[in-house]
Amino acid sequence: MIAGVVSAQDETVLVVGHAESTDSLDPARGYTQTTGIINKVTYETLVTFPSDSASEIVPLLATDWTISEDGLTYTFNLRAGVTFANGDPLTADDVVFSVNRLANVVGNPSFLAANIASVTADDEDTVTFVLNAVDPAFLSNLSNSAFGITNDAQVIDAGGSAAEDAATADAAETFLNGTSAGTGPYILEAWESDVQTVLVRNPTYWGTAPFFDRIIIVNIPEAATQAVALESGEIDIALDLTSDQMPGFEGNADIAVASVPGNIVHFLLMNNNPDIGGPMSNPLVQRAVRLALDYEGFATLWGGINPGTIMAVGQQYAFTPEQGIARDLDAARALLTEAGYPEGFDITLQYPTFTFQGVNMDTNAQKIQSDLAEVGINVTLEPGELSVSLEQYRTGQQGFGYWFWGPDVLDSIDVLSFLPGGKVGAERANWTDENSEAVIQELREAARVATDPAEREQLFTDIQTYLQENGPWAPFLQPNVQTAFRADLQGYVWHPQWLIDLAILSR
Amino acid sequence: MPIYLFIFRRILFTIPLLLGITVVAFILANAVPADPINANLPSNQLNNPELVEAFRREWGLDKPPVEQYLTYLGNLLQGNLGRSIRSRQPIAEDIGRFLPATIELSTVATILGVTFGVSFGVISAVWKNTPVDFLVRTLGLIGISVPLFVLALVGLTVFHAELGWVAGPGRLSVRLSPPPNVTGMYLIDSLLAGQWNVFQDALSRLILPSMVLALYITGMISRITRSSMLDVLRADYIRTARSKGLRERFVVLRHGLSNAMIPIVTAIGLSYGVLLAGAVLTESIFAWPGIGRYMFSASTGQDFPAIMGVSILIAFIYVVVNLVVDVLYYFLDPRVRAA
Repeated sequence: MIAGVVSAQDETVLVVGHAESTDSLDPARGYTQTTGIINKVTYETLVTFPSDSASEIVPLLATDWTISEDGLTYTFNLRAGVTFANGDPLTADDVVFSVNRLANVVGNPSFLAANIASVTADDEDTVTFVLNAVDPAFLSNLSNSAFGITNDAQVIDAGGSAAEDAATADAAETFLNGTSAGTGPYILEAWESDVQTVLVRNPTYWGTAPFFDRIIIVNIPEAATQAVALESGEIDIALDLTSDQMPGFEGNADIAVASVPGNIVHFLLMNNNPDIGGPMSNPLVQRAVRLALDYEGFATLWGGINPGTIMAVGQQYAFTPEQGIARDLDAARALLTEAGYPEGFDITLQYPTFTFQGVNMDTNAQKIQSDLAEVGINVTLEPGELSVSLEQYRTGQQGFGYWFWGPDVLDSIDVLSFLPGGKVGAERANWTDENSEAVIQELREAARVATDPAEREQLFTDIQTYLQENGPWAPFLQPNVQTAFRADLQGYVWHPQWLIDLAILSR
Repeated sequence: MPIYLFIFRRILFTIPLLLGITVVAFILANAVPADPINANLPSNQLNNPELVEAFRREWGLDKPPVEQYLTYLGNLLQGNLGRSIRSRQPIAEDIGRFLPATIELSTVATILGVTFGVSFGVISAVWKNTPVDFLVRTLGLIGISVPLFVLALVGLTVFHAELGWVAGPGRLSVRLSPPPNVTGMYLIDSLLAGQWNVFQDALSRLILPSMVLALYITGMISRITRSSMLDVLRADYIRTARSKGLRERFVVLRHGLSNAMIPIVTAIGLSYGVLLAGAVLTESIFAWPGIGRYMFSASTGQDFPAIMGVSILIAFIYVVVNLVVDVLYYFLDPRVRAA
């Protein structure tokens, strides 16, 4: 290494300010925003989304594919002439290895592969997946960077394993935290956790060469510090700013701002188990709470929109903000009276003390308190440390809780986990097949397997209509995502899956 | 009492203290009402009893707490702090990576803070109730009362973003690579390697955070110095010294300050500890990759071995600093030597 100065004068460098949040850059193990942003440019998937939306599936490492009549078998033809950063050609064996490794290391994103019964290499450049059950979201799943294809030879050399016992046998994580073994436009040069990540351009990349020679992602945990560093030009783009910082950039010709609705939905949980939820388990009370919230107020407070339902606006078939619930205090009071609480009741709201993407949960909890006070529900706030509160939530011990979520998979089907018997519905809110209506269970079963677009649209519309009236959820805010960058930076676009594609930026 | 015996006795006293610290750290780390497997195992592994069992075994969580503690203590005595659950690296290595940044910052801040604090305190005492005194005391009050993060943010906005006098957050420009690692402290390492440009950049990034921290120390030390000096300057031996016709500067510094030093030295020792423990906030704002940041990540990730390792380390530094303070008493105060 040349002492002191590494970057040559004519090298193009992009400096990204980011509040790092990851413990792994191994595609089969890391499942956080930071991992997603980095692995988006170091690994590639068989299929992907367009650069600005999740509205359709487009080819990437696979040029085309066929789906069997029964919807269970997918066959992909691999792109010719693709090589890994170390020069090895991409083959079907690499795909098989990567997918099996993802499934078998049982890492955070491994659930994405749970429905894959088998994956086989038919020849050098053809791969066949067989599914356990029909899955309308399969191709969306494959677009996740967890399905990034790794070079099997390199990973095996580093102790990697895709065998069934990979959860204990695989030892390639340390290697993959230090360098990448993918086909993407960039190569991971170094990841110094909590400090910075350095990416360098992949000289053998098969696609359009990216503009920047080197990308440095500096860990700046504080949003205020990111803003200062952006203003002074220390960084080119700040990824974790909050809405209240945006006015500060007005009139600054050096800085451009982008603000679009993200895909995080803030919601209230009202436990269906009467022993835990108390009055909140009453369907009439649940509906009253949904009518009592000041949706416009939340949207104005943070900059954002009223989510139509628990499905984030922008997802396929999701309701628009206009279709969302409107505040109606009289109707809410009437429902409370009908439920037997004409004078309201006392309840405790549990939530983590946390600020996510600039939205402070304490502030929202106070607003929830004052909104509900108007219909007589007297809320006591019980903020908790994140990990403690999370444990209560995950084990379904919260009677009345405040949380947020973002889709795991960019397909409407993701919302099914909030329905009776679903991961979130049953485990967090005790909304089960026993205490729910047959109509929603039927909708859920139909939506799980439907592949015809018209049929899906009808099913998800019916599900959302049902959720506005019934169920233990009161979604109330979908905040905007703010990004600010140096005005000379070109090509920025927010993406619901990978948030930012660093490889399409230029100056 | 000879000096070696004095130091030996002091070290003996610290042994039960350090043991107590490990007990408290262990209890606190285990008192959190959350299971570390929830924070550290992927959710789909939680449903697999075999993998959960393997995790508990690997990290010793399947043993009773007393046994866990004794194992931990045994490893600790061999200098083994264990491995971080989060980074899967030995904690000693992690600490080695993050601690020098904190030591470098705290030391520079302490040197600045003590220099200014003692000077201001003496000036304040000598020119008691003059405009100079009021100015110094106001400055001291600001240093103590304005929260560090406010000073830090205002400092960054004004001196970095607006005026451009100092460099921005972080230890080093991203365009420079760190000097070859010897001490882990960039100022020293860059000089050792003769990398003048790295030294300049590291220094320009260190100035603001260390000044912010120094302001706090200055505030504390100047107030203590002032009151200690006022006490001493009223003493009989000062009057005697003056009546002997000694020069005023000699009276104040030699007879006054050296006798006023004892409470000041105590305060310096304490403030160094405060800096280390308070590093979480300042390091966060200045994007300073130090032990405070490491501690924060460890706590939010319920990385027990790392939390304990850092707690014990900080407590240990505190104890060592206090030991140094005790030894300084030995030299400053003849009564301690006689005891």
